[in-house]
Amino acid sequence: MKYSTQAAIAALAAASALGLTVGPGVGAEAVQADPNAKVDYQGTLSVLTKFGAQQLAPYFVGVAQDYEKLHPGVKVELIQESDDSVKDKTKTLVASNSLPDIYFSWTGSWGGNFVRGHRAVDLTPVIGPDTEWGKTLTPAAVQAFMYNGEYYGIPLYLDAKFMGYNKQAFSKLGLSAPKTFEELLSSCETIRKSGMTPISFGNKEAWPAIHYVGQLLAYDVPQAVLEKDFDPGTAEYSDPGYVAALTQYKQIIDSCTDGGASVNGTSYSSAIQTFSNTKSAMYYQEIIEFDQSASADSALKVSDLGFFTLPAPNGAKGDVKAIEGAPEGYMISSASKNIPLAIDFMKFVTSRQNGQVLSAPPYGQPSATIGGASEANMNPSVVAGLKEIASASYLMPWLDTVNPPRVASAWLSSLQALTGGSMTPEQVMEQVKQAAASSK
Amino acid sequence: MEGAPLSNAAGEPAAKAGRPFRHWSSLRWVAGAVILVGWFVYYPIVDNFIVSTTDEDIFTGETTNIGLANYERLLHDPVVWVALWNNTLYALISIIFQVGGAFVLAALIEGLGSERQRRFWRAIYFIPSAISITVTGLLFYFIYQPDIGLLNAGLRRIGLEQLIQPWLGSEHTAIYAIIAMSQWQGFGYSTLLFAIAIQKIPRDLYDAAVMDGAGPLRRLWSVTLPLTREMTGLMIIVTITGAFQVFNEVMVMTAGGPNNRSQVLGTWLYQQGFIQNNFGYGAAIAAVIFAVTMITGAAQLWYTRRRRVEL
Amino acid sequence: MTVMAASGRTARPTFGSALAKAFLYSFLICLGIVVLYPLVWMALNGFKDNGQIFGDPFALPSRWTWGNYVQAWNRGVRDYLVSSLLVTVASAICTVLISAWTAYGLTRTPMPGKPLVVGLVLGGLMLSPTVALIPLVRMLQAIGLYNTYWALIILYTAFRIPFSTFLIRAYMLGLPKDLDEAARIDGASEGQIFWRITLPLCQPIIISCIILHVLFAWNEYLFAMVFTNGSAVQTLPVGLTSLMSKNGTNYGVVFAAMTISALPIVLLFFAAQRYFIRGLSEGIGK
Repeated sequence: MKYSTQAAIAALAAASALGLTVGPGVGAEAVQADPNAKVDYQGTLSVLTKFGAQQLAPYFVGVAQDYEKLHPGVKVELIQESDDSVKDKTKTLVASNSLPDIYFSWTGSWGGNFVRGHRAVDLTPVIGPDTEWGKTLTPAAVQAFMYNGEYYGIPLYLDAKFMGYNKQAFSKLGLSAPKTFEELLSSCETIRKSGMTPISFGNKEAWPAIHYVGQLLAYDVPQAVLEKDFDPGTAEYSDPGYVAALTQYKQIIDSCTDGGASVNGTSYSSAIQTFSNTKSAMYYQEIIEFDQSASADSALKVSDLGFFTLPAPNGAKGDVKAIEGAPEGYMISSASKNIPLAIDFMKFVTSRQNGQVLSAPPYGQPSATIGGASEANMNPSVVAGLKEIASASYLMPWLDTVNPPRVASAWLSSLQALTGGSMTPEQVMEQVKQAAASSK
Repeated sequence: MEGAPLSNAAGEPAAKAGRPFRHWSSLRWVAGAVILVGWFVYYPIVDNFIVSTTDEDIFTGETTNIGLANYERLLHDPVVWVALWNNTLYALISIIFQVGGAFVLAALIEGLGSERQRRFWRAIYFIPSAISITVTGLLFYFIYQPDIGLLNAGLRRIGLEQLIQPWLGSEHTAIYAIIAMSQWQGFGYSTLLFAIAIQKIPRDLYDAAVMDGAGPLRRLWSVTLPLTREMTGLMIIVTITGAFQVFNEVMVMTAGGPNNRSQVLGTWLYQQGFIQNNFGYGAAIAAVIFAVTMITGAAQLWYTRRRRVEL
Repeated sequence: MTVMAASGRTARPTFGSALAKAFLYSFLICLGIVVLYPLVWMALNGFKDNGQIFGDPFALPSRWTWGNYVQAWNRGVRDYLVSSLLVTVASAICTVLISAWTAYGLTRTPMPGKPLVVGLVLGGLMLSPTVALIPLVRMLQAIGLYNTYWALIILYTAFRIPFSTFLIRAYMLGLPKDLDEAARIDGASEGQIFWRITLPLCQPIIISCIILHVLFAWNEYLFAMVFTNGSAVQTLPVGLTSLMSKNGTNYGVVFAAMTISALPIVLLFFAAQRYFIRGLSEGIGK
């Protein structure tokens, strides 16, 4: 288990090696963590988490309580946002200079924003590869948060996207996990004939579509082209693979879902509910959501939850062994009044013991701490998913966090249009190109 | 003018010397309001114009002056035009239901025999207006849901399956679904206002009209309507102003999607300023809202003043 | 067309008018159902579990348990309610006091540049909060009020002073002045006249103002969303949307939370309908 986690993270880090140089910021001064600072266990620590969802919220609440018990002078204030709201919230906080002491960040250009603005503490002296803390975390995961050669993030867990499926429903129809994209489409036909929704998909929030497309782009567009296009300075978006991937995406919408407009009107969370209620046969989800799809209380039994990577189309020009995903973690605000305390708290959060709690149900977030995932307690799908990540040749970053805001928003709105049928793949790419041109 | 009796009453010898002092000191009565309103209402609006000529990176705090570039971008931003159209649609539909429909409904209710009944119906229809738009927005988000929604289930039950829609998910219906919710919520409020205006009409005018042989429709047209004309005018203006400030229900129900088709100026401002990090451009969108509300506000002022003169 | 027939007050009992009456009442009742049914549905769904909500939307709850309501209450609604109460009450008091104060100054005292002050304060009626949003974010942050109750209390007060002042001033203009003149002759100070004579006389319009303010502050969303974060200071409307995104899969709890937050204001409306209507009819100019 330990091995597969580490290998997975190594792959993740390789993926995140792009866009690591970010321009110098003005305004705030750069702040570097001091490894010898004495921790003053007094005062309040505010933490912005991405664990606002009902199932995940207790994790940080529990950790904070344990920490407060250990250090009675400290009070931990949690701002728990959901996956959907954390982005807006973070920006509001940044705009008003009120970032909490510790805040959630994705890798890639999202995290780069904080580095560029000198809003994140340079953690190199405390979390770098040769440091005591750094050694307890899988080095590759730490590296995913490396910008300009320095380390800014504390990785908490790994994330990647897989197609979850209802094994029982599949076997009833004589189906098995599809190996190719074409097979996926034909399985959808079979499932639909049985009266079940093949894939439940909610795209009201607009980012869920990005996840399908990101994976397909990794299959259809060569890695080097993708990375060139992520950089606004060199973006062209002229590779024919883009249109091919979007056409495949549209095929999924048409053959596997309840229809584009319906998808746009359904929320991501209600789609997972449909899958979990065994009303749909498949649901494209993050590994960190496996424990929400199937739990002891849900109609979908844990043993019936299977998963496969979204199958690649025949003759795809990109990397067919790529998986979309990245580690996720936390940064420390350079404006924090008590940086040593914030660091101490995050050391506590990433301890082996807390890592094991995080990896196991009900949370199911595969920890990035070495030895923080104990296979015995974990959902077997999560364990198997980690192995898949380990064997991936490339990790495709999320399109909405890797791109600059204008390009990300062009992807978001025009993919909603493609989903709803009011734009063609070519028109979508036209929008993205325009946005990229104006972001130069 | 109002000060005149006061200085008479204080007709002591010291009055002459004391008067300027008293004059200035009476400013203390209004100081609180002037400071608060000036600081938090007027100043930000002035500042908004300054922000709208800049480009700011919220992460670095770097600000560059770019003149009118944001306004030029407005002209070429297709979503701004979609939003402007949606706001206009909001205004038009609201005028039909919340002014026209509410006027007729108020006339119907005020025509009922007993005051208890009239009060009952006014109160019933008003209830949604008392509830937060967040609650009604969320409620209708559920009502419009493809799977658990009341609307589609209702259509299915009465055999109108062909009308079933993913109301908020379709680019063609999303904004109309939102506007419909807003009518549901708002018509009771304007009905109440019209009812108040109708109550002020002297009864003998109706009696005279009956004597002249005017039927109910005729009375509505030639007595009720002209005598509530000011109210109607004001309601139209208030409705337009409100329609250009819409934010809440769109944010809660679709956040402007799908594909920005249900975007209104308020949500596009929020999207640009707070999601895409373009404070400057957001401020330019705010300036458009300002321009529209200033025009309707001026119309309102003119109307109110005219009403005063007539009274 | 036939429906219209009832709008006059002719009471000649003919077949036509009886038919019109029947039409009128069925129209009013149908409209009443359209208005009320969604609200009833919301409250009923608070008693259902996901299976029932997904099953038949028209069915009555199979069990009448308060579980969802209790859960909603414990999962944040209590805190949001406290924040809402605090912000609403504090801003209502500030708004009404400052507005009454201002209205008194504008109607009862000699003041230089009075038309200017009237224009300034009442002109605020035309300015929309949306336009001020972006500069306000920066300002409140600069003065350290971001994410505090004070941010909302001050903003709600500042943006509602023009309207409340408008109402109270109109009312004060209509009040006779002999009482305060008598008091002035007896040597009462301006402050005493305001507190002891004018303010008590304005009681009806003050109550109307309070109610209209409560309706506004309790339901306000834009400022509350932008200027607060963290459940400690979030008010109900914002809290509800975050509850929705956090419990998105547990619909019963979301419906229960919506019902809890709608109830106080509906009850208030029924309890104080008379003042409410007075406030509206005085404030028609807005």
